[in-house]
Amino acid sequence: MNVIGRNNVHVRGSGSRAMVFAHGFGCDQNMWRFVAPEFEGNFKVVLFDHVGAGGSDLSAYDPRKYSTLSGYADDVIEIGRELDLQDAVFVGHSVSAMIGVLASLKEPGLFGRLVLVGPSARYIDDGDYVGGFTEKQIAELLEFLEDNHMGWSAAMAPSIMGNADRPELGAELTNSFCRTDPEIAKAFARVTFTSDNRADLPNVSVPTLILQCKEDIIASTEVGEFVHRQISGSRMVVLDATGHCPNLSAPREVVSAMQAFV
Amino acid sequence: MNDQNPIATEDLEDLFENAPCGYVTLDAAGRISRVNATLCTWTGYSHGHFAGKRLHLFLNMAGRIYYETHIAPLLRMQGFFDEFALDLVTESGDRLAVIANASEKRTPDGALVSTRVAMIRATDRRRYERELVDAREVATTSLKSERENSELREQFIAVLGHDLRNPLASISAGARILQRSGFLQEEKELRVLDMLNSTVTRMSGLIDNVLDFARGRLGGGITLSRDANRPLEPVLEQVVDELRTVSSDRSIETNFAITEPVNCDRARIGQLVSNLIGNAMTHGAAYHPVQVGAKTEGGVFKLWVANAGEPIPAIAMERLFEPFFRGDVRSSRQGLGLGLHIASQIAQAHGGKIAVTSTSEETRFVFTMPTLP
Repeated sequence: MNVIGRNNVHVRGSGSRAMVFAHGFGCDQNMWRFVAPEFEGNFKVVLFDHVGAGGSDLSAYDPRKYSTLSGYADDVIEIGRELDLQDAVFVGHSVSAMIGVLASLKEPGLFGRLVLVGPSARYIDDGDYVGGFTEKQIAELLEFLEDNHMGWSAAMAPSIMGNADRPELGAELTNSFCRTDPEIAKAFARVTFTSDNRADLPNVSVPTLILQCKEDIIASTEVGEFVHRQISGSRMVVLDATGHCPNLSAPREVVSAMQAFV
Repeated sequence: MNDQNPIATEDLEDLFENAPCGYVTLDAAGRISRVNATLCTWTGYSHGHFAGKRLHLFLNMAGRIYYETHIAPLLRMQGFFDEFALDLVTESGDRLAVIANASEKRTPDGALVSTRVAMIRATDRRRYERELVDAREVATTSLKSERENSELREQFIAVLGHDLRNPLASISAGARILQRSGFLQEEKELRVLDMLNSTVTRMSGLIDNVLDFARGRLGGGITLSRDANRPLEPVLEQVVDELRTVSSDRSIETNFAITEPVNCDRARIGQLVSNLIGNAMTHGAAYHPVQVGAKTEGGVFKLWVANAGEPIPAIAMERLFEPFFRGDVRSSRQGLGLGLHIASQIAQAHGGKIAVTSTSEETRFVFTMPTLP
């Protein structure tokens, strides 16, 4: 399967510049449904699912490759090459903020601007650095994921794979936006919450916008400010939105902050 | 109708407060605006303690992460969620396992009014589910290690079989040189030479079986090179002759009538009949000849090997063709238990099969295959 099918890539809108939206841990490209359409007038909007999520090709899930964020960043680069993108805007939510940072460092020229929504360079506390979580809490999360199968069952899997756009499956697809193979969900949680990209941040040279929510337990304001300090010249906007998903809870605020930046 | 609406007679306030499940209502900003008494009792918190707080504060940390990354987005996207397993943390710090459903209430123009969450206690269910998950993990792990072990074992067998071939070839060549040189004259010496040849033949048959078995297990399977044009009978005669030479104390009677061409791998059919005769000699009564027959009739090739002696016990019948299965025999006569297994594999590769009948009079193995499959 090619990159487009593998990552369930959708390209919409018109414009000479591209804007690539990357979803975080939890759901899929649907996370951008209230934000991405706003940019279709001026941008070539690129949406995709990370391998293992949404309508991606689950058979392409390689546990070794995806045991680091770098593996996910390689996919972003491949998508960029396939679509011949240059100087594009990368918009990454949650863990995809760091995936975008890595992709921009690995493939200079691919992204001209970064929008990091709720970024965190490291989730686990480390000495003076406050990530917000202890190792024990993350271990607990991995176990907890076993308890929530999100309606996933082996019998359903074949109809889920690659069929996210088929409305006739709608009735059966409760929770489908966030449906993930539990093993993959666990692996993605592990790579997300044990990642440490603090050393990469100072190398970022493209203009960067950080969108920070209030009362975000996944990526606190402190964590966002750390990213802001480490990426020189970056801009940080603290949204009125609360929680970790302003792209869903406060799309208008997100859109206007982004419009001012791009 | 004089009957009163039963719903109207129900005290709805009481139904909400003391329902057999926990209720939480969140306002448009996601803050708790109301909880019922049941949830207060379960958690040990007062109504007032919940007011204005975010729901995830009452979950354990893993649940908070999950709520923020999965549940909240899902609720926003599809307007409801069903069947989430959550752990509430009670006032005393204990965990309370619940299954939660929720739905959003929106105005006609789509603005969020509130979100209602219902929680059902699920302690036993969750414990049971966790045990299932743990059991699956144990099963998966042991299956994986078992597979690795068995692959290693089969690779070992393949290497062993292969490495045994060369020294055996040297022994065989040495015996041939001795025979040709005429150096050995005494009858006793010649008997030793016969014995040597017999052992080499027997061992080479065993090694062939071992290698075929290992190849089969490692995915190679039995490979055939069929040839319908060349006669099969001389091959069978040769196998019988060899076995007669190496087991001069045993008698083998043959009855061959192959009149139609048989599209088979002749060397493989030779190996099959050799294995069947070897089995008959090991298990059959020594005083009685082994009967070997082959014929073609109406497009079917049929080959049989029969011996007298004790019948095969019913319990052994079922496992006869399994690898490494050995019946009750004197240890000196034991082989690896691969002969019948390989014979049946060869039969299957030819689209045929081996049937067995065993009575106190006779034990008979019959191989049949289509002459032109």
